Amino acid sequence: MFYFLFKRNSKDKALRVILLYILYCIVNEGMSLYLQSFGSPNTVYLFLLFTIVEYSFFCYFIYLILPRDLIKKSIFYIWVGFLLFAFIDYVFFSKPREWDSIVSGVECIIVFFLCIYYLYSQIKGTDSLLIYSTFNFWIVIAFLIYFSGTFFLYLMADRMMSNPAFQKLYFIINISFNILKNILLCVAMTMKLNHTVKQQKSVIPDLGDDLLFTNKIN
Amino acid sequence: MFFLQVKTTLGISSVLVLGTLGMFFMAITLVSIVVFHQRRVIRFNKQIQKMEEERQQMLLRASIQFQEEERQRIAADLHDDAGPLLATARLYLNENLIHQEPAVQLQAIFSAKQIIDDSIQLIRNISHSLMPPTLKNFGLEAAIKDLFEKINGSGVINASARFHDNRQRLNDEKELLIFRILQELVTNIIKHSSAGFIHLTQNAQGNIVYFRIHHDGKGILQKDFEKMEHDSTGLGLKNIQSRIRVLRGKIFFEIDNTHTYYKVTIEVPRELIK
Repeated sequence: MFYFLFKRNSKDKALRVILLYILYCIVNEGMSLYLQSFGSPNTVYLFLLFTIVEYSFFCYFIYLILPRDLIKKSIFYIWVGFLLFAFIDYVFFSKPREWDSIVSGVECIIVFFLCIYYLYSQIKGTDSLLIYSTFNFWIVIAFLIYFSGTFFLYLMADRMMSNPAFQKLYFIINISFNILKNILLCVAMTMKLNHTVKQQKSVIPDLGDDLLFTNKIN
Repeated sequence: MFFLQVKTTLGISSVLVLGTLGMFFMAITLVSIVVFHQRRVIRFNKQIQKMEEERQQMLLRASIQFQEEERQRIAADLHDDAGPLLATARLYLNENLIHQEPAVQLQAIFSAKQIIDDSIQLIRNISHSLMPPTLKNFGLEAAIKDLFEKINGSGVINASARFHDNRQRLNDEKELLIFRILQELVTNIIKHSSAGFIHLTQNAQGNIVYFRIHHDGKGILQKDFEKMEHDSTGLGLKNIQSRIRVLRGKIFFEIDNTHTYYKVTIEVPRELIK
């Protein structure tokens, strides 16, 4: 599927960003499991890095799909601002090896804002195409639902992670919303795949028979 | 702070679950609103598109009907007038003519010539009704003035025209379309308004050419025009509208402030002769 999408949509930057994001998620999960198997406390740094990289992927994706306007122009500054904020929070305010709850919370809020703005721009537009038949819509929904579901979880993680009841809930909620996000990403990929196949079918010129027919006559 | 307060009464699990569910349902609601709203907008747009298509169809039908009526009129003119005239001429010029007296022959040839002359005149009239030669040769101003002279000749109505800025002619196709529109409007005024006078004014400003017809009869207003345009009746008005569309122009039906004169204004973008 990855090969197919990459090959057929090599010029579609938004799709490439999402595919790279999915690849990064898989690698991150693998590394996280690997580090946890050792009982390494450095997993927290991996999560901090994940927050920043995930946010960067999302910002670039939303930058690619938003219509040209002020928000689109300011996405770069929002991204830089967030990086600065994460750096300041990590260097000056966070305790070592602590959950990046504040950074994650801010990330969630920015993602909500950008997702809502995307949906608003879709409503405002005059495109007659149904919004839920597009790849971009499902990707945005995947992010929106994932971040809305895990917003409280990450916000409370730094203080409550020592609580066993919270740990249990953290696992359930995080896994559930991860699965939901992956399902929605799959729906988006299916949309893209169907669209690509339709496009492939429609661009095949129906000339072969005519040419043969002409040759026979000649 | 809020969560710390809630923690004591509900417990961590309840706060987390309620918060997560709340956020989740908020996101779902938001997405649902967007989807339903977009569906409604698309449905509404499709309805408008359908109405516009129906309107276009009606205009097209009116245009086709008009063409058919025009063809029928020409066919009737040829069949009822030119046909009998030529048949009569043929009767005069039959084979027995050579056996007749020279005086009779001369009389028959003279009668046949008269009839053929009448036929030529008749065919010329039909041809002129299709494409006025004055319009083709001398332009819109001359054609309109010619038309108004004919109207004045009837003595029923006083028609006058004044062209303020007609230094640059419009292209032939546009001139013909405008002439047909003005002709239709004038015919309508004569037929339906019981007006005593018709006055046409032409002017140009920038890239727009304006034509305004004043009359003192009973006219129609913009809302009447729009209503009649959507009715199954009013073929002439539909033709006017379709011609205005072809010209990418505008038409306004108004009454002056004193409610004495009705006026029809046409705005057409100018296109210079290449």
